[in-house]
Amino acid sequence: MPLPEYIKKDYKRTRTMKGSWYLTSYKYKFNLSRIKEYLKGLKNGILLGLKCRSCNTVSFPPRLICGRCLVKPDQWVRLPETASIATGSANYDEEDKKREHPFPVIAVRQDGADTALIHNISDDVDFNSIYIGMPLKVVWAKERNGLYLDIDHYEPIEDPAIELNKKEGSVD
Amino acid sequence: MANVQPAVISAGFCEHASKRSDVNMAELVNEAVEDCLNKAGSVEWKDIDYVINGNMPAFEGANMPELWMTDHMAAKNKPLLRVTTGGTTGGSVFVSGYYAVASGLYDMVLAVAFEQQSCGNTTVGLASVALGELSIYPSLGYEATRLRRNMGAGAAIGVASYQAMNYMRRSKATEEDLARVVVQNRRNAAKNWWTHLKMPTITIEDVLDTPYISYPLRFGMVCPASDGACAVLFTTEEKAKQIADVPVYINGVGSYANEPAIIGVDCGGAGQTDPCEQLGAVKSAELAYSQAGISFPNKEIDYAEVYSPFPNQELQWVERVGLFEPNSAPEAYLNGVTALNGEMPVNCSGGVNSTNAIGASAMERPAESALQIMGKAGNQVPKTVHTALGHGWGGAINLISHVVMADEPQRKFK
Repeated sequence: MPLPEYIKKDYKRTRTMKGSWYLTSYKYKFNLSRIKEYLKGLKNGILLGLKCRSCNTVSFPPRLICGRCLVKPDQWVRLPETASIATGSANYDEEDKKREHPFPVIAVRQDGADTALIHNISDDVDFNSIYIGMPLKVVWAKERNGLYLDIDHYEPIEDPAIELNKKEGSVD
Repeated sequence: MANVQPAVISAGFCEHASKRSDVNMAELVNEAVEDCLNKAGSVEWKDIDYVINGNMPAFEGANMPELWMTDHMAAKNKPLLRVTTGGTTGGSVFVSGYYAVASGLYDMVLAVAFEQQSCGNTTVGLASVALGELSIYPSLGYEATRLRRNMGAGAAIGVASYQAMNYMRRSKATEEDLARVVVQNRRNAAKNWWTHLKMPTITIEDVLDTPYISYPLRFGMVCPASDGACAVLFTTEEKAKQIADVPVYINGVGSYANEPAIIGVDCGGAGQTDPCEQLGAVKSAELAYSQAGISFPNKEIDYAEVYSPFPNQELQWVERVGLFEPNSAPEAYLNGVTALNGEMPVNCSGGVNSTNAIGASAMERPAESALQIMGKAGNQVPKTVHTALGHGWGGAINLISHVVMADEPQRKFK
């Protein structure tokens, strides 16, 4: 059975009024206690991951709680400067249209860590040449201040797997 | 699992379009409710015990729309619940309808999900979701341009393009395979009355001619932003047998959440290093199948509706929910297995790829599956559908809802 008749509309267009909403007026709170050690490490050129003693998962950058075990990880481990691409995409932004090729954005998995981190690859790398599993190396910023971008970007290094595959005649 | 066997007796839609300037949000919902009640035979709005409502919060700037539209969805003097879980909202509203009937407290439950995206600003809405996590980055040394570039690629389309990258590497799918999915969806949508993007003559070349939005996804592959609403009527097994010609029984429901998006939580690392793995979908499908007594989903399921705003996701979901072997979906699409007259029709309504009213999308999937079983769907498959599934995805690329429905009540081993 249909609803009562009075709800039925008797016009073609609605009247539209404008409103606005200021997102920047909100306040967000963060617990950064766990990051201090990590940032101190960056300042000294050391990469630190946080390891959960229960499941041995290493998070880089550190996370407050291990979701699998619901405990606070507290073991700092030093990670090598090498990493690999976990996934990637390209940004076709207005400003980036001036560039020859699109701006690559990659998720990096630091060797020895189990988590991914969104970061950048060297400017001269063509987006079409990147692939998942591509080995990378950290490029430090000229001035290290103990902040997130002390790792300025990642640069590709030679991939031994490609040579190996060529020898064995594998297609992939 | 439930003591009371919940059933769906009707599902209604309103006409979807990019701008429904002739109605406001409440009237949009009313159209879907009216269509739902019209299809429900002898049910009157007085018979409804309980109303559940949901849409994506903050996308239209109306924070308590359920109060505004109380009269329009026949909820006056009735218990009312609002559910919002981001992109999965519709799926969660559907699951809540199932719970309300299964609990034995309510006999006739109306679930409504809607979105009027032309009213709001989707970018602001998405920003309100992400701002909480991203606002800390500038104080940790991230300059504005770099943050916009890096995290801007991590919004809905960015997340999907990460998934596409990983899926294409795993399955060796090409861009042509992605375009083929789009063509199938848009052509199906042309035969369905309520859909948004109707393109009966679109070809693979047309899709591949459009520019990239975010590699490897092109403009022609991306879902539209629609205005629309969906309503579903739930009831018990006994009542459904009296009211409906073909009652549709909900036999299994699974809803899992995975690790959040690739951006990471509290500026830590993201646990999902492979965004196309989607353990949440695998788990919720397993749970729903075990409740419904389905051991071989690829043989026992006749029809599937999966939540795929982007074509790579359709290929990925049909594999994760067990309809196809891993990495075999592109071939199945090439061979027409998933077409309207194929062995395993998928998204014959046109899918989210053709119509995306965000809050309603995840409910339109099980609703459309139910209509296919009833034989009342807009683009009805020629074969008889006995068992069908509806799947929803959303949140921070992590929240899954999975519903299995059939024309027979679930087998009870007691």
